[in-house]
Amino acid sequence: MKNILLTAQLTLREALSRKIFIAFGGISTFILLIFALLFIFLNPEEFTGMVKSPGETIDFTKEIAYGLKLLVVAPLFGLGIFLSIFSASSFIPNMLEKGNIDLLLSKPLSRHQLIIGKFLGGLAVVALNIAYAVIGFWILVGLKFGVWDADFLLTIFSITFAFASLYSLIILIGIITRSSILAMMLSYIIFFILSPVLNMRDSINAVVDSSFLKGILDILYYILPKITELGNLTTELCIGEGINQWQPILTSFLFMILTLYGGIFIFSKKDY
Amino acid sequence: MNPIEITQLSKIFNPSSESKKVTALDNVSLNVEQGSIYGLLGPNGAGKTTMVKILLGITFATSGEAKILGTSISDFQVKNRVGYLPENHKFPNYLNGEDVLKYYAKLGGVNSTNGELMNKIDELLDLVKMRQWKKMKIKKYSKGMMQRLGLAQALINDPELIFLDEPTDGVDPIGRKEIRDILSDLKSEGKTIFVNSHLLSEVELVSDRVAILNLGKLIREGTVDELTSSKEIYKIQIDEEVSEDFYSTSLANFQIQKSSGNTFETLIADNDQLNNLIDKLRSENKTIKSMVPLKNSLEDIFISLIADSNKNSKL
Ligand SMILES: Nc1ncnc2c1ncn2[C@@H]1O[C@H](COP(=O)(O)OP(=O)(O)OP(=O)(O)O)[C@@H](O)[C@H]1O
Ligand SMILES: [Mg+2]
Repeated sequence: MKNILLTAQLTLREALSRKIFIAFGGISTFILLIFALLFIFLNPEEFTGMVKSPGETIDFTKEIAYGLKLLVVAPLFGLGIFLSIFSASSFIPNMLEKGNIDLLLSKPLSRHQLIIGKFLGGLAVVALNIAYAVIGFWILVGLKFGVWDADFLLTIFSITFAFASLYSLIILIGIITRSSILAMMLSYIIFFILSPVLNMRDSINAVVDSSFLKGILDILYYILPKITELGNLTTELCIGEGINQWQPILTSFLFMILTLYGGIFIFSKKDY
Repeated sequence: MNPIEITQLSKIFNPSSESKKVTALDNVSLNVEQGSIYGLLGPNGAGKTTMVKILLGITFATSGEAKILGTSISDFQVKNRVGYLPENHKFPNYLNGEDVLKYYAKLGGVNSTNGELMNKIDELLDLVKMRQWKKMKIKKYSKGMMQRLGLAQALINDPELIFLDEPTDGVDPIGRKEIRDILSDLKSEGKTIFVNSHLLSEVELVSDRVAILNLGKLIREGTVDELTSSKEIYKIQIDEEVSEDFYSTSLANFQIQKSSGNTFETLIADNDQLNNLIDKLRSENKTIKSMVPLKNSLEDIFISLIADSNKNSKL
């Protein structure tokens, strides 16, 4: 355990040495500041006034708070995962560079500790970045509107988890091919193409009448991590709807564990 | 128990592909004694690095067994008592010299307090003459500076057993001398050092024993003396000019290799033969002016051994 934490910590440090995570924190800070200023200069009534027709008596405060959260978290999901993949895809190929991996493997660490450490360290950086933005915004909205729903904080986990399911794939591809580009491309393909398309497979099946295609789509759907659905889940957490569906979480978790262990298995057999 | 015990170790890379198959190690057995400096020599591609990597669990042997510090090489825990300087090592380049040592101290299982560690780091940086560069990012280091830092890194956990793969690669002559001195000091502290090199003249200066590896096979093993002084050539000068007849008749029992006037070279198998030669010359009333052993350098031995071994492997 100590060794895993150690490699995680060193990975965290490696990640923080990259400009990209610093830039990410900078963007978050900038956005938080803008909202802080908006909140200072506008009354809650002015916000509600934007959506309330005159004479209505319902209290829209909560709705406004939800709307604002959505406004921040939806791009956080997209941009956060996009940038994290970009940066994390080079962790493993960097580690495997000749002259570096030899030295790492000569240390009193086991190979699976090394990979699990890399995995957790990478997750920690992303989680920290996301947590900073989410908690910051949660506090701002809480102070302004008095809405303190804890569900919103769960988005830290849902976003980090969506990243984690892709990160395990990045690790596997990195170990097999040593290529950060390939790992990155595959993740983006799942994130931007496969996952959204597979999520709409019912509509596709309605148009194309082929049981073969339907079978393929179904298999792919259940195998691959469900990034789009985890995104939807994240927005639902923003608007206080809680978690309605566990299947995408469970199957994505399974994908994560299998790819991660696949990576560890291959890594522990390889010559360097 | 010897710190390194290797029994019939073999390594075949890509065994399933006929064209890409490489036998990097072929049934190698050797032992390294506690507190000695052991030099593993061999031409490029002989399998030296592969050997060290197998001992450290970086590459896996195809067959055979090996132990370091009495423990099977599959046990990773023992490596907190081992130091390693890989060939062409790469450190995370966002670190400076001091951070590199801290980083590998942690990975190497050093758990002294921060103060102790910082002292140790300064001590090692002094040892390899790198203290003045400790705050500089290693991105800017020269080759020799990287090598010095690499050596410090290999010593950060106060290892009992140290593997150095081409430690003087890229280091200037003064630096090489300094590294040799460091190795001798480490040896006098009782540490065992295993050095890979093709710089024979250097290995010759520090090693207690050497092994010569070619095409994965161990072709010779022994002390430097054993390897270099099995048979020696002596160059002898006598006081007066003699005719060629003198060499072919009076000295017929000796192997004369070259002769001209009052100087000749002869191959001497042992001390008895040497003294016989002296007696013979004295009994012939010749005055010996000088007698110089033309000792084979390790390099001569190395070159002839490798040539022989390559010839044999082609047969
Ligand atoms: N990962 C690998 N895959 C395939 N072949 C390899 C691998 N590593 C080493 N080899 C081969 O094994 C042989 C021994 O290589 P090794 O690096 O051990 O040589 P060396 O004695 O250290 O040489 P040098 O003096 O150049 O460092 C070479 O033929 C090399 O091509
Ligand atoms: Mg080598």
